[in-house]
Amino acid sequence: MAEEILNAPQYDDAALEKEYLEKRKAQIEEDYKEPFDPDVVLEVRHLRKCFPMKKTITGKVTKELVAVDDVSFKLKAGETLGIVGESGCGKTTTGRAILKLHEPTAGQIIFDGKDITHYNSSQMRSIRKQMQIIFQDPYSSLPPRSTVGGILSEPVEVHKIVPKDQVKNYVLELMDKCGLRDYYYERYPHEFSGGQRQRICIARALSVNPKLVICDEPVSALDVSIQAQIINLLKKLQRERNLAYVFISHDLSVVKFISDKIGVMYLGAMMEFGTKEDIFRNPLHPYTKALFSAVPNPDPTAKTERIKLEGDIPSPANPPKGCRFHTRCPYAKEVCKHVPPEYKEYEEGHFAACHLLDGE
Amino acid sequence: MSEKKKSYLTGKEIRAIAKENAKIIKRLEAYKNRKAEEAEFLTQMHDDANILEIDDLHTFFFTEQGVVKAVNGVSYSVPKNAVVGVVGESGCGKSVTSMSVMRLIQGPAGQIVDGSIRFKSHEYKRDAKGEPVKDENGNYEMEDKVYDIAKMPISEIHRIRGKQVAMIFQEPMTSLNPVFTIGQQLDEVTFIHTPGATKEMAKAKSEEMLRLVGIIPENVYNAFPHELSGGMRQRVMIAMALAAEPRLIIADEPTTALDVTIQAQILDLLQDIKNKIDGSILLITHDLGVIAEMADFVVVMYAGKVIEQGTVYEIFQNPMHPYTVGLQKSKPTMTLDDGVELYNIPGNVPNPINMPDHCYFKERCAKCTAKCSGEYPGMIQVSPTHYVACHLYNEEDSNNG
Repeated sequence: MAEEILNAPQYDDAALEKEYLEKRKAQIEEDYKEPFDPDVVLEVRHLRKCFPMKKTITGKVTKELVAVDDVSFKLKAGETLGIVGESGCGKTTTGRAILKLHEPTAGQIIFDGKDITHYNSSQMRSIRKQMQIIFQDPYSSLPPRSTVGGILSEPVEVHKIVPKDQVKNYVLELMDKCGLRDYYYERYPHEFSGGQRQRICIARALSVNPKLVICDEPVSALDVSIQAQIINLLKKLQRERNLAYVFISHDLSVVKFISDKIGVMYLGAMMEFGTKEDIFRNPLHPYTKALFSAVPNPDPTAKTERIKLEGDIPSPANPPKGCRFHTRCPYAKEVCKHVPPEYKEYEEGHFAACHLLDGE
Repeated sequence: MSEKKKSYLTGKEIRAIAKENAKIIKRLEAYKNRKAEEAEFLTQMHDDANILEIDDLHTFFFTEQGVVKAVNGVSYSVPKNAVVGVVGESGCGKSVTSMSVMRLIQGPAGQIVDGSIRFKSHEYKRDAKGEPVKDENGNYEMEDKVYDIAKMPISEIHRIRGKQVAMIFQEPMTSLNPVFTIGQQLDEVTFIHTPGATKEMAKAKSEEMLRLVGIIPENVYNAFPHELSGGMRQRVMIAMALAAEPRLIIADEPTTALDVTIQAQILDLLQDIKNKIDGSILLITHDLGVIAEMADFVVVMYAGKVIEQGTVYEIFQNPMHPYTVGLQKSKPTMTLDDGVELYNIPGNVPNPINMPDHCYFKERCAKCTAKCSGEYPGMIQVSPTHYVACHLYNEEDSNNG
């Protein structure tokens, strides 16, 4: 026992961190130089978003909360990327940073072959009609004082999608596609149920013919039977218009149903990324495995072997050193506590960040 | 455009409704606040194996737009040492039923109009003055009593609320008092419900309960609720519910506000606790997965009525009501094949005011027949434990014999 402890590798945390940061910096610079892929609608490279927590009197930030740390992915037209994770893992911040509703701290966002990371607000306006968002809560995301017709016509008029005299017909056609009756045109949002309101939100997002739609938990606030209606509507519209979705949700079964690619996030970092088949048939990261096994199975006869995660999610303000997941990981080794794992490709298009996969 | 007309009421109509409501509410409030002898609300259980029997319960909300029949003739029972899961969509009356059991319906608009809730309590034997009686050894004597909760005056409800029936709410954030420490809030339960409790006794009991739910008491006993995470708060809520050693725990969406990994922890804990204590759990949720993992018996509710009930195997392997079938099919599961369109139930839940006379599910039902336009279907027994309220099975029965 004593020998084991004496012979155990010694870790110098400060030196390791320095080495890791230098290595990462070099990697990021190299990746930035890569040419843009023309097939890809959205590419995110090493996205990082920090929020200031403490400031000195002169406004210098002394403590930061890293909400999103080094997230990268590519998304093609007609594809859906599902982002899953527990609360506080940065999935919503990622979605908002892509739309530049939050100014990213570092990283590159490439939309449709253009690097939009440093666009100012007037440059963004022309881009905005190509990227839209659907929010979680359909009750608070619609203006209560304007009619459905007004809500849907406004973006069409602002972005001059069709000539002025055709706006009404265009909106009615759109409402029909989204399963809204034409006499709803004169009605106000409070007259509708949650499912209908979410349809209005979807119609509003699609009114400007976007290429990319960020869906931020669009079905979490809805009942199961209404959830199915909305998911089918989103899928139908995607087929018709060749839309790319970034689908953010904490419900794994919904994400599995709708996505082509899946990213699993934990405490701001991407833990695993790959196609749906890769992630579900062959999950690599222990967190992904635990997350899947925690989903209750609606079959009373099936007794699934559950990987139990002890404890709570650590505070994102003070994430653990080394691998972020080591405090809850059932397989954590000594190395996990000190060295952050590298995010790399294990199979084609299947990325993960875990020391256990490197094998020893 | 006829639909548009229906959704508005004139001022005259609203005033007429308000007048009518005021009359009914006055009568029901007087009944609720009356002084009554114990004999008036003592009753007998229909089946001695049950701990709670809800029988034809009607809980209505008298609003300006009309009467909302949130619970409209609900009957189900909770057997001893069992987990009964109530499942349904929002607005189906599952929470209102459980609130009725606790008599927590917000008056004056919300009122229990009719029906009975029989509950078997196990409590301290009290003498004529209400003091607990001790036997020769100096221990308190216990006795079984059956109360009809629906008939109890509100001043007597303290006999069961908290002590015999405890509740775990959905939002652990808002159910704990932010200005008291966890310890103070837990001790209070013991002070109120145990005769002759001292400070030391209360603290010992609270610490025991915290340990039972997997919390180290030293870290949490003196902490305030805001210092704890969501999962920890829900554990504290469970500890609080357990502190009075209740016979029935009502868990109203206990894991809805939590993450999946924390949900798995809390469900394991509830399962574990059920084996440790001598009591039953009434679990209310909209998540079919949670029901399948936890429950022994399942009650499916729709628009204020029970439409199907049975054991968990009957409901999941042989669902009979088209709504239960649809609900199970419309939930994407981890094992679902790719590329298929998700089944969905068309339409919405009907407006709770002015419910139709026929089956409430008729407009959304794919298997609806001419008979469905008739009166509301009664409960049909398909097996000793399996009941369904649907005309489809009524017909088959009459054909067969």
